[in-house]
Amino acid sequence: MKNRYKQLGILIILLLALFFVFSDGYYKWLTGYIFLWFIQAYVAWFLRFKCNQPFVGFSVTMGIGAYGTIVLTTMYGWSNLQAMLVSIVVSAIVAIIIFMSTSRAKGFYVTMVSFLLAIMFPKLIEAMREITGGRSGLYFNGLEVGENVLYTVIILITVAILGFFIWLMSTNTGKIFTLISENDELTQAVGINTFKYKILAYGIGGLISALGGALYVNYTGFVSSIDINVFTTVYITFMPIIGGSGVFYGPILGTLFIRLLPEFLVNVERYLDIIYGCSFFLVMLLLPDGFGPSLEKYIKKFKGGENNA
Amino acid sequence: MLNWIISGIIMGGVLSLTVMGIAVIYGITGVTNFSLGIIGVLGAFTTWYLMESFNWLFAVIVGVALSFILGYFIQYFLLNPVSEKGGEPNLYFILTVSLGLIFTGLIKVIFPRPDISLILPRMGLFTIGGITASGLKYFALFFSVSILILLRLLEEKTLLGKKWIATSQNLKLAKLIGINTKQAFCIASGIGYALAAMGAIIWGALYNINLMSGWDLTFLGYIIAVVGGIGNIWGGLIAALIMGMVMSFSGHFLGGMWQSVILYAIVIFVLIVSPRGILGHEKSI
Repeated sequence: MKNRYKQLGILIILLLALFFVFSDGYYKWLTGYIFLWFIQAYVAWFLRFKCNQPFVGFSVTMGIGAYGTIVLTTMYGWSNLQAMLVSIVVSAIVAIIIFMSTSRAKGFYVTMVSFLLAIMFPKLIEAMREITGGRSGLYFNGLEVGENVLYTVIILITVAILGFFIWLMSTNTGKIFTLISENDELTQAVGINTFKYKILAYGIGGLISALGGALYVNYTGFVSSIDINVFTTVYITFMPIIGGSGVFYGPILGTLFIRLLPEFLVNVERYLDIIYGCSFFLVMLLLPDGFGPSLEKYIKKFKGGENNA
Repeated sequence: MLNWIISGIIMGGVLSLTVMGIAVIYGITGVTNFSLGIIGVLGAFTTWYLMESFNWLFAVIVGVALSFILGYFIQYFLLNPVSEKGGEPNLYFILTVSLGLIFTGLIKVIFPRPDISLILPRMGLFTIGGITASGLKYFALFFSVSILILLRLLEEKTLLGKKWIATSQNLKLAKLIGINTKQAFCIASGIGYALAAMGAIIWGALYNINLMSGWDLTFLGYIIAVVGGIGNIWGGLIAALIMGMVMSFSGHFLGGMWQSVILYAIVIFVLIVSPRGILGHEKSI
C-alpha cells in the first residue's frame, strides 16, 4: 500500500509540470520534450524489466509512430489523428511480429534482431528519402490546437501512461508478467500460456512507444533519420538502467540524466561524447543499481546511522 | 560480375578481421564488447597521424600495439573486476558503449581531421585467375586469411590457446586447474582490439574512415558474427565473405543507400530462420 501511495505521489509531482503552461519559452518546451522521453523510458522499463523481454527496438516502434504520422499527413493528406492511430496500430503489429518471428530464439539473439532493426531503421529512412526526407527530414504543423493545449495534452498523456503501467502491474495480467519475468518456464509449467501474455506485452509496448513517437513529431514539428538513430535505442535502453529499474521512478531519473546532461554541456559540445561516456561509466560503476535504489540505500543507511546515534 | 564477386570477397575479408576480434573476445570472455570498433579506429587514426612523420610500417605497428594495450588494460582494470562481481549483460552493454563514446570523443579532440584515408605503399595491379585488382586489395584478403590461420594455430598449438579453450569451455574448472583466467581474458581482449585495429587500418587504406566508422565497424562486425554464430571464427569468416558479396551486389544494383538496408534485412531473415547463425555453436572459438 505504501508503495502505491509513493507511485501516486510521483504522478502528482509530474502533474506539477502543468504549471509551466503559464510560462513561455525554452523551459516549457524542454519539459514537454523530456516528458515525451519518459514515455519511451517507461516502455523500455515495462518490456525489459517488468516482463523480462530482451527487446531493444524502441527507436523502431517510436520511429514508426513518428514517421507514420508525419508521412501520412504531409505526403498522403490524411488527418493527423487518423495518421497517428494507424501508425500506432502498425507499430504494435510490428512489435508483435518481431516477438513472434524471434520466439524460437532466446535472449541474446532476440536482442540482436531488434537491435539490427534499430540500426536498419535510419538507413531505411535514408534510402526512402523521397518519401521520408532522409537526413534533411520532414516538417509539418502538427496538431493545430495551439502550443499550450499540445503541451498540456503531452503532460496528461504521459502521466496517464505511467498511471496505466501502475494499474496494469497491479492486475492479474501484471502479476503474470511479473511471474514470466521471474521464471518463464515455471510460469508455463503451472499452465499459463506465456506466449499469449508476451504477445500482449509486445503489443502494449509497441503501441505506447509509437504513441510517444507520434506525439514527439507533433511537438517538435520535425523528424529526420538523425533524430531517430541507433543511439536513440541505446539511450532509451539506458534510461531505466541508469535511473534504477528496481524502483518505479527510476526511468524518470534516468531520462532526466540522459536528456538534461547535453543541455548543461552546450558550451563544451566538443567534449560532449567524452563527458557523456564518463558519466554513464561512473554512474554504473559507483551506483550499479542505478540512481533510485542507490539513493534509497543511502537514505536508509543515513537514517539507520541517526537512529543508532 | 566477377569483379563484384571479388570486391565482395575483399570487403568481407577485411570485415572478417573485426569479426574475428569479436569472436575472440566473446568466445573467451563472454562479453559483447561494443567499444571494439571504436578503439580499432583509434588505432587507425594513430597510424595515420604517425605516418606523416615515421615509416608506414612503424606507424601500423604502433597503431595496432596501442589497440592491444588498451584492450589488455580495459579488460584488466574494468571488465575483469566487473566480471568477478558477477557482471550481467546490461552492465557490460552500458560500460562498453560508454567506452565507445569516450574514445569517439577522444578521437574527435585529439586528431586534427574527422575523416581520413590511409596511404599505404602502392603495390600496383595484380591479375590472378584473370581478375585484375589492386595489389592492396589482394594483400588485404591474403592478410585476413593469414591472420585467421594464425589464430587457429595459436589456439590449437600453443599453451595460451589451450588455456583459452579451457577458459571458454568451463571457467570454474579452468581456475581450479590453475589457469590464470584473468590474464587469458586480458590477452584475448588485447588481441580482439588489435584485430579490430588491423581491420580499421586496411579499411582506411581501401576506402576511408571517419569518427563514426568505429561504430559502423562494431555493428557490422556483430551482425556478421551473429550470422556466423557469435564466437565461431569459421562461421564468422564465411558470414563475412557472404555479407561482403551481398554489400557489393546490392550496392551495384540498388545503389549505396540500399546496400545496408538489404544487408540488415538478410541478416534479420537469417536470424529468424536460423536463430543461432549459419554454423551455430556459441562461444566455440
